[in-house]
Amino acid sequence: MEIKRVIYSHDKKKNHVNDVNVQIEPGKITTIIGPNGCGKSTLLGLMSNNYLPQHGEVLLEGKSLRAYKPKELAKKIAVVHQENSAPADMTVERLVGYGRLPYKSMFKTDKAEDDAAIEWALKETNLTEWKHVTIDALSGGQRQRVWIAMSLAQQTPYLFLDEPTTYLDIYFQYDILELIKRLNEEHGLTIVMVLHDINQAIRYSDAVIAMKAGQVVVQGDPKKIITDDLIQEIYGVDVLVREDETAGLYTIPVGIG
Amino acid sequence: MGKKIISFITVIILLVIAVLYSAVTGSIDISMMELVRGLFTGGNHEVEVIKDLRFPRIIIGLFAGAALSVSGVLLQAVMRNPLAEPGIIGVSSGAAFMSVLMISIFPTLFFYVPLFAFLGGAFAFILVYSFSWKSGLDPLRMILIGVAINAVFTGLLQVFSFTGSSMIQAVGDMTISNLSMKNWSDVNIIVLYGLIGLILSLFVFGWCNYLALEDKTAKNLGLNVNLARFVISAIAVLLASVATAIAGMFAFVGLIVPHIGRALVGTDHKLLIPFSALLGALLILIADTLGRTLISPNEIPASIIVALIGGPFLIFLLRKSDRIYGN
Repeated sequence: MEIKRVIYSHDKKKNHVNDVNVQIEPGKITTIIGPNGCGKSTLLGLMSNNYLPQHGEVLLEGKSLRAYKPKELAKKIAVVHQENSAPADMTVERLVGYGRLPYKSMFKTDKAEDDAAIEWALKETNLTEWKHVTIDALSGGQRQRVWIAMSLAQQTPYLFLDEPTTYLDIYFQYDILELIKRLNEEHGLTIVMVLHDINQAIRYSDAVIAMKAGQVVVQGDPKKIITDDLIQEIYGVDVLVREDETAGLYTIPVGIG
Repeated sequence: MGKKIISFITVIILLVIAVLYSAVTGSIDISMMELVRGLFTGGNHEVEVIKDLRFPRIIIGLFAGAALSVSGVLLQAVMRNPLAEPGIIGVSSGAAFMSVLMISIFPTLFFYVPLFAFLGGAFAFILVYSFSWKSGLDPLRMILIGVAINAVFTGLLQVFSFTGSSMIQAVGDMTISNLSMKNWSDVNIIVLYGLIGLILSLFVFGWCNYLALEDKTAKNLGLNVNLARFVISAIAVLLASVATAIAGMFAFVGLIVPHIGRALVGTDHKLLIPFSALLGALLILIADTLGRTLISPNEIPASIIVALIGGPFLIFLLRKSDRIYGN
């Protein structure tokens, strides 16, 4: 996927994404980081066709996102949003089944194929035994896995996640991140996500896109680009960057300077 | 699953009983045998009167109830708002106003009343929708604007009653749901347009379900959200308009029936839409039958009875389902 000179503004006053050029490598995990309001989620929205660029374009397999039909695009890209809602009496299995929408048409549905995809999605997210449970009976972490399972049922090569660990306790944060990593390694999914935690971004990403004020400051291998200077520049926070044999590269905030 | 099937069966049985009871009860009381015999052989004067006066009333009550209830379900799905209802947001009063206005200008175009009603209802709906759209639909804002639009159309409608025109009777028919004095040409209109709307509504249950998710999520699943909203809204407006044009304004039915339906058969529109149609038909038929028998020879309008039965029943179900779901 290629983002070429994209400009986008929500209000026509300030460019929330300003002249961004990014390449997303297939088969890799890419994480977008940056302070609140820097345009991370907007960039993800542009990449998933929820916002249309006012300038420039987003290309998927050489074709502009605008040129895709909605269902055609939904077979390529699945998105897990930060805010989700569904009726309380919805069962896990039914909600995951919604992920089969791109494959449905007025006159034909392939039930066997749908069932296989739903079963696979439930198995990957460890939800098989929960499939008849209604979602209001699940914990926050389990519910997040249901939304991921719904996206998996779309059987797309690309999976985008907007702050998938926000609102979760530390166990479920890592539960979700490990799940994402496994999906990438075992099934070759190309992952793009927005994260707030720099250490999680370092640990779970092949590439990081660091943004500030609508622009990309730097992008590349997190182990090479994350420095105390970079964190100071984009977040305004002083950090120590350390490396440990078992923990790998990590950062510790020490103050605001 | 058991509860859902039982709910369906119960409503269907009650509906059959209500239709039969309503047919033989009223100012002319006859037995079921006499009625059936009269229908097949003819010649029974009382049966002929029932056929001309009571049958149209029963059929119109059934279709108006089904149409208004399904319209409520659809509007609630489109607007993602549990308070949306054709009466509250002005669709019914828009439809009523346009019908009265057009008939008073062109009295000969009576047969086209449903068309005028549809235009008026659609106009009111578009006003509500466009005034409340601000980078998304805020539920509270939308209801307030709906209330305002409803107030304007209701006001305009009432202006007619003070102009001393010959249309006072028509205005009365529209604003107070009075199902007496309906004839078979009314039946033809509501059955034709009502059936079209109801049948179409059975095809959009999937779209209604997807719209319960966030718009972004539905869009990323490949749903054409705007197209789905447009089609569902058009069906909802058609149903509410034709019901208003023939049966008058019934506040509350489109709100109460879908909520009762959700408590009994759940939020899946595959079941909720047909169930609401049956339950709405039952509610208005019972209300109208009670209204014309309780204090006969005087009549209580069906809409008043609907409010009296429906209100307490909804409160009962909401209290009960709170305990079940533990919300």
